[in-house]
Amino acid sequence: RNVAHVNGIKAQSLSDNKLSLKTALQLIKTRFDIKIAYKAGILENKDSNLTETQLMAFGDAKTALTFALNGSSLDFNKISESQYIIINTQAGNAADVIKGTIFSASDNLPLIGATVYIKGTKTGASTDAQGQFSITIPNELAGKPITLSIASVGYETLEFPVNDFKTPISIKLKESASSLNDVVVTALGIKRDSKALGYAVTEVKGSEFTQARENNVANALTGKIAGVNATGLSTGPGGSSRVIIRGNGSFNGNNQPLYVVNGMPIDNSVPGGAATTNGLATNVDRGDGISSINPDDIESITVLKGGTAAALYGSRASNGVILITTKKGVKQKGIGVEYNTTFTIENAINDNDYQYEYGQGLGGVKPMTKNDAIATGRLSFGAKIDGSDYVAADGLTHPYSAVKDNIKNFYSTGTNFTNTIAFSGGTDGIIYRLSLSDLDSKGIISSTRFKRQTANLNINAKITDKIKVEGLAQYNLEKGFGRTLAGDALGNPNWTPYEVANTVDVRWLAPGYDAAGNQTPWNDAGIATNGYFVINKYQQNDVKNRFIGQGSITYDIVKNFQLKGVISRDFYNYNYVNILPTGDIYIPKGQYSGIKSDVSETNSLITGNYKNRIADKIGISILGGANSRRFENKQLNMDGNTFTIPFFYSYKNLATSSTIPTYQRIRTNSVFGSADVDYKSILFLTYTARNDWFSTLSPDNNSILYQSVGGSFVVSDAFKLPSSIDILRVRASWAEVGGGAADPYRINLSYSNVPSSGQPLQNVTTNDITNPNLKPYTSTTYEAGVELKMFKGRLGLDFTAYSRKTTDDILNAAISSTSGYNNAVLNVGELSNKGIEFLLTGTPVQGNKFGWNISYNVAYNKSEVLKLVEGTTTFEMARTVGNWGYINQTVGSAYGTIVGTRMLRNEAGQIVYNSTTKRPVATGLQELGNGVAPLTMGLTQDFRFGNFNLNFLIDGKFGNKVLSIKEVYATRLGLLKSTLPGRENGLTISGVDQAGNPYSALIPVSDLRAYYNDMRNYSELFVHDGSFIKLRQAILSYNIPVKKLDFLKIQSASISFVARNILTFYKKTDNFDPESSFTNGNAQGFESIGLPRTRTFGLNLMVKF
Amino acid sequence: CTKDFQEINTDPESSTTIQPAYVFTKAQYDGAKNNLILLLGTMQYTTSFNDVAGFGSKYVSSQSQQSMAQFSNAYYQEINELALVINAVKNDPEQVNLLASARIWRAYCFSRITDLYGDIPYTEAAQGYTNSNYKPAYDPQRSIYLDMLKELDESASGLNAAKATFGQADLIYAGNTVKWKKFAYSLMLRLGMRLTKVDAALAETWVKKAIAGGVITDDADIAKINYMSAGQDINKNPIALSLYNSDYIKADGNSNPEGGKYQNTFITYMKNNKDPRLGILSVVYVNGVADTSMAIQKGMPATLSAKPTDFVTYSEPNQKTVLALGGAKLIYTTAETNFLLAEAVLRGWYTGGTATTLYESGIRAAMKQWAIIAPSDGIISDLQINTYIKYHPLNTTGTFDAQMQQIYTEYWLAAFPDAQEAFASYRRTGYPTLVPVNYVGNATGGRIFRRMLYPLSEQNLNRASLDAAIARQGADDFMTRIWWDKL
Repeated sequence: RNVAHVNGIKAQSLSDNKLSLKTALQLIKTRFDIKIAYKAGILENKDSNLTETQLMAFGDAKTALTFALNGSSLDFNKISESQYIIINTQAGNAADVIKGTIFSASDNLPLIGATVYIKGTKTGASTDAQGQFSITIPNELAGKPITLSIASVGYETLEFPVNDFKTPISIKLKESASSLNDVVVTALGIKRDSKALGYAVTEVKGSEFTQARENNVANALTGKIAGVNATGLSTGPGGSSRVIIRGNGSFNGNNQPLYVVNGMPIDNSVPGGAATTNGLATNVDRGDGISSINPDDIESITVLKGGTAAALYGSRASNGVILITTKKGVKQKGIGVEYNTTFTIENAINDNDYQYEYGQGLGGVKPMTKNDAIATGRLSFGAKIDGSDYVAADGLTHPYSAVKDNIKNFYSTGTNFTNTIAFSGGTDGIIYRLSLSDLDSKGIISSTRFKRQTANLNINAKITDKIKVEGLAQYNLEKGFGRTLAGDALGNPNWTPYEVANTVDVRWLAPGYDAAGNQTPWNDAGIATNGYFVINKYQQNDVKNRFIGQGSITYDIVKNFQLKGVISRDFYNYNYVNILPTGDIYIPKGQYSGIKSDVSETNSLITGNYKNRIADKIGISILGGANSRRFENKQLNMDGNTFTIPFFYSYKNLATSSTIPTYQRIRTNSVFGSADVDYKSILFLTYTARNDWFSTLSPDNNSILYQSVGGSFVVSDAFKLPSSIDILRVRASWAEVGGGAADPYRINLSYSNVPSSGQPLQNVTTNDITNPNLKPYTSTTYEAGVELKMFKGRLGLDFTAYSRKTTDDILNAAISSTSGYNNAVLNVGELSNKGIEFLLTGTPVQGNKFGWNISYNVAYNKSEVLKLVEGTTTFEMARTVGNWGYINQTVGSAYGTIVGTRMLRNEAGQIVYNSTTKRPVATGLQELGNGVAPLTMGLTQDFRFGNFNLNFLIDGKFGNKVLSIKEVYATRLGLLKSTLPGRENGLTISGVDQAGNPYSALIPVSDLRAYYNDMRNYSELFVHDGSFIKLRQAILSYNIPVKKLDFLKIQSASISFVARNILTFYKKTDNFDPESSFTNGNAQGFESIGLPRTRTFGLNLMVKF
Repeated sequence: CTKDFQEINTDPESSTTIQPAYVFTKAQYDGAKNNLILLLGTMQYTTSFNDVAGFGSKYVSSQSQQSMAQFSNAYYQEINELALVINAVKNDPEQVNLLASARIWRAYCFSRITDLYGDIPYTEAAQGYTNSNYKPAYDPQRSIYLDMLKELDESASGLNAAKATFGQADLIYAGNTVKWKKFAYSLMLRLGMRLTKVDAALAETWVKKAIAGGVITDDADIAKINYMSAGQDINKNPIALSLYNSDYIKADGNSNPEGGKYQNTFITYMKNNKDPRLGILSVVYVNGVADTSMAIQKGMPATLSAKPTDFVTYSEPNQKTVLALGGAKLIYTTAETNFLLAEAVLRGWYTGGTATTLYESGIRAAMKQWAIIAPSDGIISDLQINTYIKYHPLNTTGTFDAQMQQIYTEYWLAAFPDAQEAFASYRRTGYPTLVPVNYVGNATGGRIFRRMLYPLSEQNLNRASLDAAIARQGADDFMTRIWWDKL
């Protein structure tokens, strides 16, 4: 067939067989199966300028209509895919045209593509890129009351009676609860239609964090998003979180995502560094940066998982980005007031599965003197528990009976009380929101307290039509008292309730000090501090003053071109003092540790943005920009020991003290750009490029250019699919991210003075070998995904597969100290993470009275260490107290492998004994399992019944191992059931000796303690599967029908009963919670006698005036 | 946009240039604090009822890792520091004395490590920065010894009184090259004598060479570091500080966090022999007051597994002498020279004195040295010394072994609290005669250690080198004998 070329149309003279407009529209209707509405009579006597052949050559209705109406005074509006309306552009007077703008209520940004109908008719329009619409009122409705029906995907449909036809109207749509997340915030705070993205993005509404709240908002991400592995630590209120997106991408650099508030990065460091696996004294979780964010200020959190998503933020985004959009004011009459209060109580969960057959004592004998009781304070190798009398460490006679609830006896009920009040309002020119929040937490250790006061002010102002400014200021005052020490025994209060002999009520050890203020002993190891002495006499106070400020100016220079400048500064000053008091048994004259630090992160950003549509088919958006990041940490570590005046805790009262200054400076300069192109909103392509210059790298190698490409194809718009399918789209992307060294001063060897009271001393500044050739690392991600929405949003599926590879990682590699150094800074290694993510959302029941929503996500990430330092196949990341286990990176294994010893067995599986020592021979170090869970999932269900709403979240992690230090000790101390064999008549061991001959020996009762004590040499005994399924959260809320309480002028109110960490449905660890981590560092896989996990219950009240 | 990056990436709190003198001082402090405290228990000077702290005296298998840090720390501290110093001064002919002192001190530091472990990284050690060698090979102990002796020899001859020295930065001799020379030959004497069991001829060569070079025979020349009683920990006597912090800080005889006391072997021996050092070294707290009376001194048995009710009645180190934080640490003493020379006489390698006079001079110097450590509280009178010597004459008519036993039992008393040197001497000579402790769950089958275990981290980080050493030397076990300890 001869098909006329479209470009030739205008050149053609009118031919004889040109179609009348009416006929042309009839043909278009039939050809494309659409409905076209028009006012009677407006088509009369008009021609289309098209021949039938030409008309039939058009590929879609929109193009056909455009050409058919070309040259006439008519235009058309697309109402939906199958509905169009012909409008008369000259049909002039204002009275019969309704104009207006539709906004999203939550952020006051214009809503693009919302449909506006006159109720009861087919007449309507959809909003343009500025959120504006214009509807010509049909003649038959002239003079009649008109109600507009406004709908947009993801928002609640609104009916709006029009009273004033002359003034353009402004309407805000509320986001619907069952949001399909069509518009998402992406990099640099840009809102985009999710279908345009070549990568997976997940958005969580702020309301999900405010009811059953966590103090640290990052902890609340647990189980909510596929591929996001969030873990709250067992370190008490004010503690840190560890969030890993799509696996760990760096061997021992930072693996946590970049946190971005309203488009600008914030600092997420832990003052003084994360707690280590075997540290002493100041080894405490001092809280991370994200813990400063008040959940009530959060409008939404968007998680950008892939590299493409992150390309515009640069290297720190290679681990993903968590974008936090804070709430803004809304234009309204008067002041809107929102009040939210939550009170929760939390109680320690007792995970102990100890033996209660044999009580305190040694060699089958119970203590009968105070001295013996102290000597065996932690030993349960005594006589059979029979209720008879014995003497305990307090010197008093007590019944020799099992005490099973020392967890309950020792820990108090913790409380969290949060109050937030927010005021918002605004006029045409300026909108604002101010929130004030107070959080007061009491930990389950009665001396632990955490207070956080937050003031957050957000102002948006329109200076002129073209210039807008936005300002954000957040001030936090955070105070921590008595944060719990982690790791080794000294000053770690948890050791007492967990290790005290099983016939002792831990309360007998209170108050932990004598009349002179000295610690009262409870066991033979001075390092295992009496927990009550820790509570009552150890001191640990910290204060953080944090200010986050942001100012931005947006200038619409010409139509479609916008310039934006932003400066943000996140600054905190931190003061920490840790007093190990006079009278401690292990360090009798006390010890002092202080940290004072000033940390700031300053970003200056300028962007230019051009948007246009060409011939209504091709959309173009181009963005270019530059950023400068400055990071500074000025820190003083003030440490000392021996208080010369006992019990007087001043730095000036120390016999030995030193002040060590640290001054870190990092600068990263960047230029970047992106281009987005779409063809008819069906096919989208995005390209980004960024060049970074890192101050932390070798001057010869400090620059890297990296790029990304992403595409999305909306199959459901391109082809006609069954009507049950709302959206079907496929997406794919490739992205590279380059990164610099996280720490400064890793290029050149330098020398530092060492504190000395005599001759001056000097040494190399660190025992890390610096690297003058340090160059950027790269992380490359491929991903592809499919998204399907069906049955008007009632069923959604989203599937993503990705592969992420880090090369030339900047590694602080542990090396043999015989080299003269403990670590070397190297550009080595390759690390791969491959995984899949799956999200299923559904609304099985959707009724007026009753509704049921389900969201299920599951992710599997397989990590593999591909390459390490040349000639090395393994290196160590961390080790436990007593070197009972290590976390290693080993070529061919998953990231973070637990390494330890096993009992040597012969080929028949018999244990090989050393006949001299009567102990199994320990193997060398072997791999015992992976410390990071590869499989994570979460299931959220939401039931609505009238004004009641019931929500619960079940989540699980699978496939990781945990090495329990608590079990090492509980075995050594005779608390575990596995130490029961042999208590009456001794333990017969049998196997083979080292020569391979059959071997058998009797361990007499008197030697049992030593035997079980030595079990610590076989790490395998304490490594367990860390898989679990938990009922993480439940919320039962009631929307108070405020209309009935009209006189209170309340807009809405709800009250909720909330609970977190309610039940563990499944776990494989008998004696501890599989999530008991105490550091947010990279070495995961050790449990080490941290605070017990807690179960939280409470009430939440939310009122809006 | 990167023009100020170099300045930004330069640490304002550290220096880009090395001060060899300051690093050398640090290396002296670090080398002097390389003391494996647990050996005080092994040599039966001290013990504890507690398994962990009592490991040295009880050999409890589960505490096997305790010796590991000793190995690791030495390399990234004194060994690396000395490598930095040597690299900084080695090419400057004006700094030969700095180079020689650093090499002598390095030989001392290496000998402390190899004597504990046997084969260790030596030639390739501390080349992580200069050669990017992250996995140094282990050298056989024999070649380590030969090289240390060569180092001492070359350094001693390299010293030149006319050239610059470390001056006050040298904590041991304040730059005195004559004394450094004596120290070098004295160490040669010590290390040469170490070889008697494995290669007597080699031992003889080096012992003779050392004596010919001139060894320390006067207390004015002994190698020691003086410390301060207050200030930074690094400026305090390391053995005193370690003991003080772990157990004796409260000075009440009872609240020892790690349960430490003197062991009965040591106290009983001194008490039975009316050794005047007993009242200098040892106290018993009576009603919270330190009492040095000989009659009430009593050592604790190493066999205890729980705190005994009479814990307070056992002897512990004297705060004024052994625990004096400002007391000197003796690196090499005239007592040692005298005992080694006494042995050389017995072996027929030395004729500059008689075994008896050297033995007696050794005892005299050993008793006098406490006044060097603690000038006002460590004084033992000549009368006391002469009386002791009178009742402990060298049995010159006895066998070689009998005389060796006398000499090296006295050396055991003289070496305290340098248990590491006593441990080496014990392994070589077999004296003093110690009865091993056979504690439940011990790692040695109730025998005294012959060496320490390599750190587990070496399995992780330097496996091939470690495996080669083990293949050569024998299992990485407490009872495997190192090269010079071979029977």
